[in-house]
Amino acid sequence: MYHLRSLIRHLRVEVLVLPSRVIALVFVIGLLLFPLLTQDPYLLRMLILASLFSIYAASWDLLAGYAGQISLGHALFFGVGAYTTALLGLHLGLHPYLTVPLGAIVATLAGLFVGVPCLRLRRHYLALATLAFPLMLTGIVFMFPNFSGGEGGIWRIGRLASTRVGEYYLIVGVMLVAVFSLWRIAGSRVGLIFHAIREDEVAARALGINTVRYKLLAFAISGFTAGAAGALYAHFARIAGPSNLDLFMSFQPVIWTIFGGAATIYGPVTGVFVLYPLLDSLHVLLPQYRMLLFALLVLFILRFMPQGVTTWIRDAIETSCPSCRVRNAATRRSCRACGTPLRN
Amino acid sequence: MVADILVNGLVRSGVYAMLAVGFGLVFGVGRVLNLAHTAFYMVASYGILHFVATGLGTPLAVFLTALGVIAIGLALYKFFIEPVREMEATVLIATLAVAILLQELLLVFFGSEIRHVPAAFPGYTRIAGVRLGNQEMATLVLAAISLLGTWLVLSRTRLGLAIRAAAQDREVANLMGINVNRVTAIVMALGFLLASLAGAAVAPLLPVEPRMWMHPLVIVLAAVVLGGLGSLKGSVIGAVILAFAEVLVVFLIPGGSYLRTAIALLIMVCVFLIRPEGLFGAGATEER
Amino acid sequence: MRSLFACLVLTVAVGIGTCGQVIRIGVVGPMAYIQGAHHWYGATLAAEEINAAGGIEVDGTKYTIELVRIDSNEMQPGPEAVGAVERAITALKVDFLIGGFRTEAMLAMTEVAADYKKIFLIAGAADDALLKGRVDKNYDRYKYLFRVTPVRSTSLARVSFILLGEVMDAFRRELGIAEPRVAIIAEQAAWANQVVTLVELMANAPLPFGLGGKHVGTWRPSALATSVAAELSAVERAGAHIVFTVFSGPVGVVFGRDWGRLQIPVATVGINVEAQAQGWLTATGGFGAYMATVGIYAEGVAVTEKTLPFVDSFRTKFGEIPLYTAGTYDAIYILADAIRRAGSLQTDAVIQALEVTDYVATLGRVVFDELHDPIWGPEHLTGLGVQWQEGAPRAFWPREWQPDPAAHPGLVVGYPGTVPYQIPPWVVDHWRGADK
Repeated sequence: MYHLRSLIRHLRVEVLVLPSRVIALVFVIGLLLFPLLTQDPYLLRMLILASLFSIYAASWDLLAGYAGQISLGHALFFGVGAYTTALLGLHLGLHPYLTVPLGAIVATLAGLFVGVPCLRLRRHYLALATLAFPLMLTGIVFMFPNFSGGEGGIWRIGRLASTRVGEYYLIVGVMLVAVFSLWRIAGSRVGLIFHAIREDEVAARALGINTVRYKLLAFAISGFTAGAAGALYAHFARIAGPSNLDLFMSFQPVIWTIFGGAATIYGPVTGVFVLYPLLDSLHVLLPQYRMLLFALLVLFILRFMPQGVTTWIRDAIETSCPSCRVRNAATRRSCRACGTPLRN
Repeated sequence: MVADILVNGLVRSGVYAMLAVGFGLVFGVGRVLNLAHTAFYMVASYGILHFVATGLGTPLAVFLTALGVIAIGLALYKFFIEPVREMEATVLIATLAVAILLQELLLVFFGSEIRHVPAAFPGYTRIAGVRLGNQEMATLVLAAISLLGTWLVLSRTRLGLAIRAAAQDREVANLMGINVNRVTAIVMALGFLLASLAGAAVAPLLPVEPRMWMHPLVIVLAAVVLGGLGSLKGSVIGAVILAFAEVLVVFLIPGGSYLRTAIALLIMVCVFLIRPEGLFGAGATEER
Repeated sequence: MRSLFACLVLTVAVGIGTCGQVIRIGVVGPMAYIQGAHHWYGATLAAEEINAAGGIEVDGTKYTIELVRIDSNEMQPGPEAVGAVERAITALKVDFLIGGFRTEAMLAMTEVAADYKKIFLIAGAADDALLKGRVDKNYDRYKYLFRVTPVRSTSLARVSFILLGEVMDAFRRELGIAEPRVAIIAEQAAWANQVVTLVELMANAPLPFGLGGKHVGTWRPSALATSVAAELSAVERAGAHIVFTVFSGPVGVVFGRDWGRLQIPVATVGINVEAQAQGWLTATGGFGAYMATVGIYAEGVAVTEKTLPFVDSFRTKFGEIPLYTAGTYDAIYILADAIRRAGSLQTDAVIQALEVTDYVATLGRVVFDELHDPIWGPEHLTGLGVQWQEGAPRAFWPREWQPDPAAHPGLVVGYPGTVPYQIPPWVVDHWRGADK
């Protein structure tokens, strides 16, 4: 009873006061109740994939948006996760509930493997060096077709749950937990240090921050989450193939994140949940002009909302208090925390 | 076999170097990591295809194509890229979206099938026992001329001085009375020109199709960072190294021809382990 | 956004659902590419013909065929192909599926068909593993899959191997080269491996079981490589007389163009899917003449009495010679035939009817084996050896083919309209009088 009351209180003072948090709450509840509305396998499939890609995009946001380590080879982690779980299932016959975490762990190692040589690289060098890794892994995949499935990929992969609704709740659940954890990490002291490293690495080091350790931490966390997304993806799509390591696969989280708003965690989620279903429905409406419209949409959004959609919307519906920096609904006249009058 | 490697490697180097130098210039001065660079090279190939098909002579077709590519490129730059230039990641995605936009437009207008452009210089010549297509030779000559021209402009003219100043420090150059925005536009145009010449040269050699920009993009990015961002000499040398790496793979491990890009990239990563700023890149303290 | 889309899908589905007695067939293919376009062309031609003839009568009811175009976008692999098929089954309510092209995408798409228990007639993908290890190992799950065209890649390998033998014979006969040297250029892809292994093995083996030549090397460029000039130089350096090609992707065009343009003194034969297309000569700028490949359709060759009428009406309608993916035409006829014989639209009944199919199609006589693969061989499907001669794809095999000279010396297979293989003139000039 006490817990319930404190939950309600928490909801009232922390969530309902900010429109953006209300939107997030409605989104989460909507997502959880969606199967009660319709169980159309195609719509569920779309939401499942959007959830998977949200994890993937959010993991990029933590590494690039927060820690400033722009990676153009994020498909490496996604692909390593997918291939690990697929190979363990294929050659050792292990259960998905075991191989998916293992896939994420191997992807973490891949994150460190890439992170270590890239520690010395700055901005653009880093972006372009990381670009190379998934393409090199593709070469290795092609070199051992009998082990890795070669061009055809590995396709005898077990399902996560026997029904589509089961898969839906599993993956949406993982997505909510993963995104919430990333959001908490990003808001914590670690996230603050990531911010500092991104803004000025030398200054961060001068403050006594072990930037090497934190950069590697960012690579590891990001690799773990992206790997988990990749592993779940392999079990859902039931194929792990070279396309998971594709150049475009590396670019996609960047598109989603920048479109939604970088360094927010919820930005990439929004980006995926807007762009992925849109792209998919264009398949039915205007298949020939699908990518054309997609590119134009991204260009115009970036042109007029260069910080991304969520940042733009957030700034429209919320203002931040000039004295204590607490965010307020745009309709409020005074700050909810310190009472400072807000302009207009 | 040495002769084969040398000849094939040189031709490939020429094309990569033209693209890499243009890309490097645009990055150096405009600070724009233009992922659409090779998409303009693709547009140029289609331009040649279109103009040659309408019966124009090659020189006129190349001229019109270059003009068109520069116009399209500058328009897209002014409208979509320049307003967001300060935000690195946004630029990255905006240029990528431009590349996809161009790809899809070509898909709509020309279809997805592989198109052919008749060679301006048909036939082949034997050099040191190696069959070398005349078109390849022309490409090599064109690459040499345009690289030399770029170098002359940069080192011998007032404009070149302004470009180099802007590349070194935009703010200071601005204070010195250089119209940095204009210089940037000129450099963009120069980059598009080099890309369209490369596209025109290879149009008869490569399959012209709407996805032809991806592979050279990877190689150009690798070449530019391998040589060191901001160093044109580095870009050229990076392009040569990667081109020869690709050709060597084909000759030395024939069963692994498909690995040529992967191995070229491996070389790039290995260089980074030793020199994180690339071969000729500015050190950490120098670059702003 | 989501609910809007849900409404939309719903209205589309309802709209289609009220159209009366139709059999809805999904045509799966990379529709932005020529392969997918021909999937669609072949299917529309068959559907129009069947509908014009009154449709399919099942148990006293007339059904017309309605096609649903499913763009799998297979050339850009990813989740899209699977999504497209699932959408077609659940939202657009297709009853049957035909088509497909890329192995990687097909493996995943056929899984979806198995999930939803929909019959999928493969027309366009050759990899053995699409059926082998599935239909035989887990019949109940995979019984829905059948392949109409092409024959599986091990059979394709046998055909291309026979074609290589033909070309080697031509070298022996016309140039007196007793032991022709063979180089292999094959794209790096799963389906090509079986072919490469077989040819590497057999090229060196002595006659009559092997080919009695000499294998001088194998090059494996990527399926998307944009230049093979270096590979060709290396082949010439290795002293090869013949290049055996294994290409399904655009690298085939690159190869044809570089080979003809540089006049590399080697004859080519093998598999080159791009060389089956009408646009081959244009795509290669005319340099692709004399390219030889395994094919299905060729100028003026009547494999069965249905071949020429089909090729003619296809050409009148679409201005091109059908690619092998236009085998969707035969697939629809085979399906219609099975539905008629089953007298029902029930999946299991149709499967049983399909399994006993013995149908003379445009590409030969189609009989499915226990793997649901079409049987390859004389009197069934053979495929053709096609060479570009005088601006058109002409068949040079089977001409006087003796499939089994020891056991059945009398059995000679040849289709009307075939012509002899021609060694390219510059190759003849180069090797005539050269030291052998």
